[in-house]
Amino acid sequence: MSNSIPEIEDSKLLFVFGYNAADSHPIVARRIVRAKEKGAQIITVDPRRTEAARISDLWLPITNGANMALVNACANVLIEEDLYNHDYVEKYTEGFESYRETVSRYSPEAVEHITGVKPELVRKAMRMYAAAPDAFILYGMGVTQFGQAVDVVKGLSGLALLTGNYGRPSVGIGPVRGQNNVQGTCDVGVLPNVFPGYQSVTDANVRAKFAKAWGVESLPDKVGYMLSAIPHLVKDGKLKAFYVFGEDPAQTDADLAGVREALQTLELVIVQDIFMNKTALFADVILPATAWGEHEGIYSSADRGFQHFRKAIEPKGDVKVDWEIFSLMANAMGYPMHYNNTKEIWDEMRELCPIYYGATYEKIDSQGGVQWPCPTLDHPGTPYLYKGNKFDRPNGKGLLFASEWRPPLEQVDGEYPLVLSTVREVGHYSCRTMTGNCPTLKTLADEPGYLQINSADAAKYGIEDEALLWISSRRGRVITRAQITDRANAGTVYMTYQWWIGACNELTLEHVDPISKTPEFKYCAVKIEPISDQLRAEQYLQEEYSKLRYRLSEPVH
Amino acid sequence: MEKKVETICPYCGAGCHLNLVTRNGKIVRAEGAPGRTNEGQLCLKGLYGWEFLNDTKVLSPRLKKPLIRYSRSEPFHETSWEEAIRFASTRLMEIKKKYGPDAIMATGSARGPGNEANYVMQKLVRAVFGTNNIDHCARI
Ligand code: SF4
Repeated sequence: MSNSIPEIEDSKLLFVFGYNAADSHPIVARRIVRAKEKGAQIITVDPRRTEAARISDLWLPITNGANMALVNACANVLIEEDLYNHDYVEKYTEGFESYRETVSRYSPEAVEHITGVKPELVRKAMRMYAAAPDAFILYGMGVTQFGQAVDVVKGLSGLALLTGNYGRPSVGIGPVRGQNNVQGTCDVGVLPNVFPGYQSVTDANVRAKFAKAWGVESLPDKVGYMLSAIPHLVKDGKLKAFYVFGEDPAQTDADLAGVREALQTLELVIVQDIFMNKTALFADVILPATAWGEHEGIYSSADRGFQHFRKAIEPKGDVKVDWEIFSLMANAMGYPMHYNNTKEIWDEMRELCPIYYGATYEKIDSQGGVQWPCPTLDHPGTPYLYKGNKFDRPNGKGLLFASEWRPPLEQVDGEYPLVLSTVREVGHYSCRTMTGNCPTLKTLADEPGYLQINSADAAKYGIEDEALLWISSRRGRVITRAQITDRANAGTVYMTYQWWIGACNELTLEHVDPISKTPEFKYCAVKIEPISDQLRAEQYLQEEYSKLRYRLSEPVH
Repeated sequence: MEKKVETICPYCGAGCHLNLVTRNGKIVRAEGAPGRTNEGQLCLKGLYGWEFLNDTKVLSPRLKKPLIRYSRSEPFHETSWEEAIRFASTRLMEIKKKYGPDAIMATGSARGPGNEANYVMQKLVRAVFGTNNIDHCARI
């Protein structure tokens, strides 16, 4: 995020794009409500009538898969109605002419057949956005989980640049992401193209610095593979071994059948985790680790805040902390590695990363947290980026960049007439091994999860509320339970992805954004079928659930 | 005697501060603590998300010993850490020798382990395996 979570409530306008804070991040949702109480205007773009949509001054019910067209229409209005900040664009941005050229073809009227949003609503929204003294854009997985995602993020950033909404508190754009430490894993270089601190692996000086610190002759200079490429890489014989650390791709990735086939074909699968999960069923060796609560370290919050999490209890069983397991592996492979505690590791990393250098454990503890960049020991950290409107580009200017809209890959047809979009569940988390083992959270919702469906579609396909039904795509079929709600738009159904029996990723498609490689979790074609014998269906569900739990617990006994 | 440890919620990027309250080495409850983003408040996940630490086996059991199998048709059996590490490292070195370092891929974890563990993982992959094939589920 360019700015901080607490700043949300002091903004004068929140533009909430494809982000359902109430279900994903309740504490962020609270800031949105508070902003409204303090008089902020709220505009929401979402195909569903979400909680944010409900409290909004303006709701743009967008057709699923039309994000880029709508963002371009927004830019079109800002420019053609002359609502943008000329002075700011002149001084702090570049690329305006070609940007203007592209978005000129996207008047709200011209793209209404794509976006499904009334042109007057788009115009009104942009007049409000441009007039607000401080405006903050919040976006979520409704943007990032499409085949065209990075382009849309750049497009949203363009709206903030056009209106000068950067470089001070309560403005900018904020992706509020899924898992707790996604920001942190990026920060410390768990990406195929950068070392810790966002230092490029293709930069020879950077490589030399890390090689020296790590005591090796050289480091690889080729950008690595992305996770979503695994099924293809395995099929092509390029990938032979997979070391899976604290993730469950056999549950959370798109096109699960493809992922399982890859896991089966690999010559070696190492799993390091705290619970038995679906991926571990394919492993050759499983290394048991300590869990949150049993070890300490630093997490990064979504707004770049380093915070210290601590150990509360002793682990049970013959388990080890993750970094100790990695050290054992390194030593066994002939590379001496030894750490006594997380602080030693943190200090090694700080020394190598100019943007984190001043964020010591001591400072994190005494301040409660430190937001990077924090370049020096006497620097307090950085609540908002781009102060003085200097951007992270060689010439310091913000880039205005527009892309043409691309339709989602898989279109509905006679056989698969509905769009499936995957969403998240308020009480649960990712692949659910942690929350699913919390009895209180389990009582909130349990297998097989729900399919949210509009009442018109339910009537059309003969689906009753709370009834079990089959849903299938070209890739698979699962059982799920209907929840009839007119918060869902007609023509699209929604499933949460935490469920093991009702696993919606049996249905999704491995079509990825060309840059971020995020699969298109938000759009594939499906059909639904009612089940006449509900009693048998309930039995089937219980049997499948018991079988799965047995398969997961059997290896441990 | 109750003890309180201040920590950070592991369930979303809001990064709420909370106290884990323990009695006789077991967690008994969580309560909101004054963090920058949450100011003492928590959602349900923050309040009850610690329960899995008591190994409830509601959904799946905690892993407590290294598990191994020498062929995929076998069931898993418990093994020592020495044997698990020996097996995993030897097989990785064989694969590296036969197909090159880029035939190995690893993930980081965007969940409980934290920044230090992830730092060490990417160091292991880059400096020891010799590849940049490391990525995480940023996408879910
Ligand atoms: S308490 Fe809720 S909002 Fe806060 S970090 Fe945990 S999951 Fe997120």
